Amino acid sequence: MLEIKNIHKSFGQNEILKGVDLQIDKGDVVVILGPSGSGKTTLLRCINFLEKADEGYANFGDINVHLKTASKKQIHVIRQKTAFVFQNYNLFNNKTALENVTEGLIIGRKVPKAEAAEIGKKALDKVGLSEKYDAYPSQLSGGQQQRVGIARAVALNPDIILFDEPTSALDPELVGEVLTVMKNIAKEGTTMLVVTHEISFARDVANRVVFMDGGMIVEEGPPNEIFSNPKEERTKQFLKRVLPEDYIYYI
Amino acid sequence: MDFKFLVDTFFVALSGVPTALIITIISLLIALPLGFLLALTRINQIPVLQRFAQVYVSFIRGTPVIVQIFIVYSSVPLFLTSIFEKYHIDKNVYDINPIWYAFIVFSINTTAIMIEIFRSAISTVSKGQLEAAYSVGLTNVQALRRIIIPQVLVTALPNICTATVNLIKATSLGYAMSLQEITLRAKVAANVGYNYVEAYIDIFLVYLILCSLVEYLFKRYEKRLSKYKIAHA
Repeated sequence: MLEIKNIHKSFGQNEILKGVDLQIDKGDVVVILGPSGSGKTTLLRCINFLEKADEGYANFGDINVHLKTASKKQIHVIRQKTAFVFQNYNLFNNKTALENVTEGLIIGRKVPKAEAAEIGKKALDKVGLSEKYDAYPSQLSGGQQQRVGIARAVALNPDIILFDEPTSALDPELVGEVLTVMKNIAKEGTTMLVVTHEISFARDVANRVVFMDGGMIVEEGPPNEIFSNPKEERTKQFLKRVLPEDYIYYI
Repeated sequence: MDFKFLVDTFFVALSGVPTALIITIISLLIALPLGFLLALTRINQIPVLQRFAQVYVSFIRGTPVIVQIFIVYSSVPLFLTSIFEKYHIDKNVYDINPIWYAFIVFSINTTAIMIEIFRSAISTVSKGQLEAAYSVGLTNVQALRRIIIPQVLVTALPNICTATVNLIKATSLGYAMSLQEITLRAKVAANVGYNYVEAYIDIFLVYLILCSLVEYLFKRYEKRLSKYKIAHA
């Protein structure tokens, strides 16, 4: 469904992505792991054109786009097919929870207001915020804000949702509620590409884990294979640091 | 103290309020959008324009308003005369109402102040919200109008209020180009019987009332705009 080929991206002298290929099928939940600075977030941002890649193609089913020279119209089409969940939620502070969710529907996709409100309420119900339609972001906890962020993405009914470290900015006790919501929408068959440090999420929910380092994909495969039997030395080192000591035995 | 004169002249000074207000409103109408756009050029580092905005702000902020008035009031008529002669327009430049010069000076001046006000206000709205707006399919203009500007306005409003009050007070300098505003009218009335103290008290009161009213209106507007900040209150 989504195929990315040979993405390159540099910031000045600093080459962040050195030719990344990735293929995602419908219904896949793909988790990208890797040390910070390995280019995970940049990869996600390039797919949504929040950064302009220096080289590479994205193939979305029927359309093939050269990432560097994409026209405004092509960018718009790709953004219609994708949704983004940000590390810092990035909710619109001047809008209520419901307005945050419906903004993209009404303005971006020209859905009639009443219909958009219905879709928006359903999306907020799904993330457990039925009581908070009219709350402003400043009245919500971090976990609630991120759940609005997820509802905003879900409501657009995209082909794929891109999650950029959705729990990294949260207090530890709020991480659980967001991960639960993500698990639920994964169960519904939503295609997801997730950058995260939550190993348990990768283990329990992903059907494929991608390990990135130094701007390249080092290794990828099903979670139990990557976690219990990594082939590359670099992957082993990384997992040794992030996995609980007894995880290998526990498997 | 001549109380009758004090009361009479109060109304004379008051009759200059419309002039002061029109200059203020016209200047704001020009300076607000222009200042916002030029602030954007600075934040987005648009090559030539951002440099222009920078130099412009330095020039205007670094010179007294009264000097700017003198420059415009003496140079624009010369410029116009040569144009009138060239195109054979039969019009005397000295018939032009000085209020037009006031529009020019105070618009130029206020624009510079607005650039700086908006520059700091825009930077308080996270870039992430703009990215989120793009990611849900909003265009640049839609994102600015619906997400960024409403928030920028709330942050900028106290400073815009200060700038507006300063602008109202600065219109008193219009007397230097014989503009029929508050200060000049009261001063002229005082010339007859040398009742300067009474006239100055009147001028003082009129500005005080006018500026307090404007401040009050801004406060109310700010309250209405910032309803989304309830939780912080």
